[in-house]
Amino acid sequence: MTVPAIEADALGKRFGRRAAWALRDCSFRLPTGRVCAVVGPNGAGKSTLLAIAAGLLAPTDGTITVLGTDPASARPRVGFVDQDKPLYPQLTVDETLRMGADLNPGRWDADTARRIVAGGDLDPGKRIRALSGGQRTRVALALALAKRPELLLLDEPMADLDPLARHELMGVLMGQAAAHGTTIVMSSHVVAELEDSCDHLLLVGGGRVRLAGEIDDLLAAHTRVSAPAATDLAPHDVVESRTTGRQVSALIRPSGPLPGDWSTGAPSLEELVLSYLRNPEALTPADTLEAAV
Amino acid sequence: MTATLTAPATTDRPAPSPRQLRWLYRLHRPALLTGAAITLLLGAALLWLGGPLTDASAAAWKEYNACGFSPTCAYDQSSILLYKDVYNYTTFAVLAVPFLVAAWAGGSLTGREMESGTARLAWTQSVSPARWLASRLAFPAVLTAAATGLLVWLHRLAWTAADGRVDTALSWDHFPTFYANGTVPVALALAGLAVGVLTGLLLRRAMAALATAAVVLGALWAAVHAALPHLWPAVTEVSRLGEGPLGSGIWVGEGILTADGDRLAAPCLSGGIPGCGSTLADLGAVSFYRDFHPAAHYWPLQLVASGALLLVAVLAALTAFRLLRHRTGKTTG
Repeated sequence: MTVPAIEADALGKRFGRRAAWALRDCSFRLPTGRVCAVVGPNGAGKSTLLAIAAGLLAPTDGTITVLGTDPASARPRVGFVDQDKPLYPQLTVDETLRMGADLNPGRWDADTARRIVAGGDLDPGKRIRALSGGQRTRVALALALAKRPELLLLDEPMADLDPLARHELMGVLMGQAAAHGTTIVMSSHVVAELEDSCDHLLLVGGGRVRLAGEIDDLLAAHTRVSAPAATDLAPHDVVESRTTGRQVSALIRPSGPLPGDWSTGAPSLEELVLSYLRNPEALTPADTLEAAV
Repeated sequence: MTATLTAPATTDRPAPSPRQLRWLYRLHRPALLTGAAITLLLGAALLWLGGPLTDASAAAWKEYNACGFSPTCAYDQSSILLYKDVYNYTTFAVLAVPFLVAAWAGGSLTGREMESGTARLAWTQSVSPARWLASRLAFPAVLTAAATGLLVWLHRLAWTAADGRVDTALSWDHFPTFYANGTVPVALALAGLAVGVLTGLLLRRAMAALATAAVVLGALWAAVHAALPHLWPAVTEVSRLGEGPLGSGIWVGEGILTADGDRLAAPCLSGGIPGCGSTLADLGAVSFYRDFHPAAHYWPLQLVASGALLLVAVLAALTAFRLLRHRTGKTTG
């Protein structure tokens, strides 16, 4: 069995003894080589989860292993881009990259860094404080990617980018993943942003993992159905159901063959995610999908 | 997405350690240049004080003392006043340096990095939080110790040059002079650095940490000052009732001794004054006593006080390391 990129077991985090749990009872396993989307509403615990994996926060509860070891030991092999893209404002773009080279001795790939920065038409002599949000994102990504990480953790990486830059940098990331087998984990609250590029999903809501698994498997395990209003949907697991007029439409996890008079369809990823987020009480298929992974 | 896992070539080889010093210097270059300028200017002022100003003031005092009661007498009063002013300003400047260090350490060295998130940027390069913190304590500590050490040495030189030649030169036990002549400012500056770094990590706000570090250092110094008389065994001088308590230096306590050897508070300080003598006799006093530190206790007091401050510095630094490890998690492997 290969070493998973991230394996979390009953992971929990709260900031202060009396504070609410930012993350609670999270268990999941992310195999290497995947591009994983961490999706959830604002404040769901996505950033906390990524910061724990990056060795920036110690969990309050549970355990996490990153690349087969603890996050602190995995530090040189993990890249991280913070949501706010912090950079030293007084340094120039060029200095920032040289700092990356000095702080990551033996790992730094100067060509990658230069290529990513050059794609944004950035003056290397310009100071970070004079850059736009999107330009800063580009420099932050260059720092993280030139480290040649085996695991790349990106917290809302694309939020500040225009569609063109987003498309280009997503291409760079995917190229990196394909060429080096880098595992990429990126969070977003915009599902559409991730649908085309990601093959693994981690759905976080209310500090818990609601769904985890290969996107294809998750989609295959769910069906959109509509049936006459009085129909009993049991024994199938109902994620969400809505009655309109004489019809009930629902998203279910079929537990067997469906009756022939139901009309069925495959849900989109966005429908799946939204259904789970709208229905915090819906049962999560953690056990069934764990086996599939 | 399928991809063959290519193991990076670097995993087996122990990675060389990150070169942090150059970037610490680059990030804090304005502070370093400012600090160097302050040290040089203050050092130059102290050399000026100990050389030409002391000579001019000593010459003026010689003229003044030669005047006697002659009604027409000229002496260089401005030299005397200039010496006094420059002495006071430089002494207070030397004593202010630790506060600048504390404020800078809290505000800029850790507080701003925590506030802006750049500390997290450093920790997700190949620099562990412990190493990041170590670099932010070690290199500034060396520079701080060197700069403050130089300043107190120059201050001591200037003070020694005036001793016995300038009539208004301050005595060793005048408190600002006492502190600025010894090792306490060096220890205070190092404690300021450690306390500043810790408050920056704790508060995660640059301005709050800057102010808190300076206030905490002030409280620390006040505590050391309050404890100072008790940091070394005092000397007791016993004097006759007619003389009043005797002995000069850093005062610890005084009173009267009874025939049984008991120490009582003195209701008045001279047996020669009518009324006082009978009061003292009623109490059974046989002599006055005074506990104090003579000039010979200068270095023991300085070194014990400095030692206590260095202990605080070490504790603050250890707390900072523990805090960071508690927050970011430790290596188990």
